[in-house]
Amino acid sequence: MFSLYRSLLYLYPPAHRYEYGEEMMTVFREIQSETAKQGTLARGLFWVREVQGLLTGAVREHLRTIIGSRYPSPIFSRRLSMRSEFRFPKATVTLMTIILAAVVMAIEKATAIQNSVPPSSQHVGPIQPAHFTFLPTLLLILSFGCISGLLGWAILFALHRSGAQRLADFDPSREPVG
Amino acid sequence: MESLPVTEPVLLILLSLAEQPRHGYAILQDVQEMSGGRVTLSTGTLYGALRRLLDDGWIERFDQEDNSRGRQAYRLTPGGRRNLQQEVSRLKQLTRVASLRVARKET
Repeated sequence: MFSLYRSLLYLYPPAHRYEYGEEMMTVFREIQSETAKQGTLARGLFWVREVQGLLTGAVREHLRTIIGSRYPSPIFSRRLSMRSEFRFPKATVTLMTIILAAVVMAIEKATAIQNSVPPSSQHVGPIQPAHFTFLPTLLLILSFGCISGLLGWAILFALHRSGAQRLADFDPSREPVG
Repeated sequence: MESLPVTEPVLLILLSLAEQPRHGYAILQDVQEMSGGRVTLSTGTLYGALRRLLDDGWIERFDQEDNSRGRQAYRLTPGGRRNLQQEVSRLKQLTRVASLRVARKET
């Protein structure tokens, strides 16, 4: 069982493992010897708790390594934090939605034109009005916008790629002279 | 160093270290005792919290007699103690208001 714990520690970033790995193993051994005297349920709960703690801890430490100091510290209660360094202009969302709606409408119109031409006849009949399925289209647009926004935000957040972030991190005193 | 409302496990860790320097296992036991068995920390949670508290300067490593690598002790820094006092004052004020509100509702 201890070897499993030691293996799970490899999920942590090497720096964290090097600094705290031995301490964690020592503490784990002490708790393990204490719970060994208790019942099966207590031992089971101990294992579930430890595995869960290690997995969430490893994810947290990796996130901290990737994102750095901008990762909200879990020692503090959850609260809304305003990140002034990254602002997604709201006008862009509106503009993108209008463009997407226009594209969807154009596709609907083109389909209506296509349907108005019988396949065997050379004569083009009167163009039928396009039947827009408004609600599904709107939902589709909204979901597309949300998913794109979330993906974009996640990528920017992970890679520190916003121009404002680079400017905020810019330190003129560290720039090489000449 | 930030001073914000802290999570319950972290508050219990800080309270444990407020009394005296302790190593990991002693902290776990003390936290369990203080919370009446309600809060049992895993080693992953404990060392995640300790690392962040060290990074933020709330606690520091403390050399004691049994100072083998596996039994490193930690203690509160003066800044950490100040922050803890602020947090305790905040909680006192909150519980006072809560008690008043609950009592008023009951009458």
